[in-house]
Amino acid sequence: MSRIIERVRQALNVQANDGRDRLVFAKSEEFINCAHATVTDEERGGWMESIRREAQALNLQVHECPDLDACGEAIAALARERDPEWGTLKRIVRWSDPLLDELGLEGRLGEDIPVTTVPMADSFGESERAEFRREVIASYIGITTADYLLADTASLVLLGGRGRARSVSLVPSIHVAVVPGSRMLGSYRQMLSRLNGQTLPSNVNIITGPSKTADIEATLVHGAHGPREMHLFVVAS
Amino acid sequence: MLNQDPLKYRELAAKAVEDKQLHRALAKMRDKVGRNAVNLYNQLSPGHDPRQDAKAVRRKIVDNLDVVLETLSANIRARGGHVHLAETGEDAVEYCLGVARRFEVSRVVKGKSMLSEEIHLNDALEAAGIETVETDLGEYIVQLKGEAPSHIIAPAIHYTREQVGELFAEKLDQPYTDDPPTLTAMARKALREKMLTADMGISGGNTACAETGHVTIVSNEGNIRMATTMPRVHVVLLGIEKIAATLEDHDILLRMLTRAAAGQKISTYVSYVGGPRLPDEPDGPEEFHLVLVDNGRSRILADPDFREVLHCVRCGGCLNVCPVYMAIGGHSYGSPYCGPIGAVFTPLTRGINTCHHLCQGETLCGACKQVCPVDNDLPRMLSLLRSKLADGDRRWDVRRQSLPTKLVFGAWSVIMRHRRMYDALSVMARFGQRLLPRKNGWIRRLPGPLGGWTRGRDFPPLAQESFADRWARRDKTGRGA
Repeated sequence: MSRIIERVRQALNVQANDGRDRLVFAKSEEFINCAHATVTDEERGGWMESIRREAQALNLQVHECPDLDACGEAIAALARERDPEWGTLKRIVRWSDPLLDELGLEGRLGEDIPVTTVPMADSFGESERAEFRREVIASYIGITTADYLLADTASLVLLGGRGRARSVSLVPSIHVAVVPGSRMLGSYRQMLSRLNGQTLPSNVNIITGPSKTADIEATLVHGAHGPREMHLFVVAS
Repeated sequence: MLNQDPLKYRELAAKAVEDKQLHRALAKMRDKVGRNAVNLYNQLSPGHDPRQDAKAVRRKIVDNLDVVLETLSANIRARGGHVHLAETGEDAVEYCLGVARRFEVSRVVKGKSMLSEEIHLNDALEAAGIETVETDLGEYIVQLKGEAPSHIIAPAIHYTREQVGELFAEKLDQPYTDDPPTLTAMARKALREKMLTADMGISGGNTACAETGHVTIVSNEGNIRMATTMPRVHVVLLGIEKIAATLEDHDILLRMLTRAAAGQKISTYVSYVGGPRLPDEPDGPEEFHLVLVDNGRSRILADPDFREVLHCVRCGGCLNVCPVYMAIGGHSYGSPYCGPIGAVFTPLTRGINTCHHLCQGETLCGACKQVCPVDNDLPRMLSLLRSKLADGDRRWDVRRQSLPTKLVFGAWSVIMRHRRMYDALSVMARFGQRLLPRKNGWIRRLPGPLGGWTRGRDFPPLAQESFADRWARRDKTGRGA
């Protein structure tokens, strides 16, 4: 038993195991139910409009694609057009995810721009980690998908885990995320409600636009330490 | 770090009041962020004050802190993280140094953490021969300058762009520019190198989620994600009070935090960090340490009159609307926690007598309460601190500050309760004030010990006819005088 927790108990004048935990961890019914609130097509349309509007202020570029094939082509075009911020070689790193496999980027970009997929293994050795780290640092574009897309703030929710390395959405200068429209949710609250009761991964990131700062005279500047540029591809089907 | 001395408040504040450059710099923060926050609260749920919901959640947590602390610790450990509960600042610093030694760390990159300022962690790391780099742009500027932060969320807000330009030209060996995007790009390049080569990352936390075992960190720049993802070990410093119980708590708390702090609906990054990487993850730190720091907080918790101050979510919102902060800047407070929140928190943790100027310097105008995302009643607590200074208080080891002040107010209280005495003294004062020097109808100097009042301002003279006399006349004539 920690001395500090004992001191906290004395300060609060309470006893251990007196049943307060039920009250402390209780959730409202409204919160629990909002996970699966039914959504009309009209509402979904409103969500997309809200994402477009929020994205504008965030400097987040939204692309709407009819299918993954069109999306793959658009991402390949973007990769050809952009120049690396650090160094001169063009490399891309992407999450290992069936959705991203279907983009066919490796075929579209050929040998000009190599695409590395996050390695999958039950465990990694020192040298394999170092190798992956070098790949990420050398990449100018990082491609991920997202588990949820939040309508009211145009935020992406990235659950970490196997094949879903944390650095891919962070270290490359350009972050590209591909999300099916069906993963849209109304709000941050609804997303929390979906995650409620699950065992969460070691790392969850909610990302809203490219990196920014306002530390010099409260002037907004994009591209502080994370990606300078961010593209969201919303895929219809 | 410089300016860590609340005893110098009067001296520093007097200097800052004359500093026009400082006022120009601070006005930008006030105009861009302060007013925005309240508008954004109102958008959350029209007709309903969401600050009351946030307050209720914070109260629930602080009032059951033992339960929340135990659950968080157990869940972080279950996720493979280490948890250390530190009683004092020294204890927390020693723990961090121990981890650094074990990993043979030569460079630390830090995400912004006010708690690390509170416990003087950087000094200790540097003394141990470890290069310590602040990675938040504002903190980096302040560190290059050899200063302490002057604002809870915008540490370098007291500088103009020209000053930052000169600093970077000198320290980063770059051509001078005062263009914020170019200056930011310079820092991006310099800091990226540091973040990719450091062995250890240290960050604060904005809150934690006890039921899932995660620490929650918000940032706009991405530096905190860098510092917590790329080095081999990640250490989080968190005050024992800054925890949330459930994911549902996070909804209101994080939305209110980012609105109050920067006028944003949500920050660019909200990260839930729950322990080290798992074996099947190719990146992330191999060790994760959570240091929960008491350092005087449980003492505040034990006093129901001041417990409310622990509801604070450290958004810095009260600074942006405070007329005193705007006039004297953050450094005058001599503590990492400046502005109205600092004026309450610092005396409670570092001694009420020692820090008496901080709570006496504020105006009690109430702007801080109005903007606070958890509706903290800072003016009430400021008044209470002052009353303890006037009367003395054994529980908080407060010596009565000034016997003459006490006697004057005691006498005033007697006068106010005795009508005849009051009337007689008003008549005397009305005659007596004719002897005092005047300017534009105002009294320029009060006599004797009252002279302190008029050192920096004039005093309005008593009216020739008192309100009571006018009222009596009105009664007789039956109409307004």
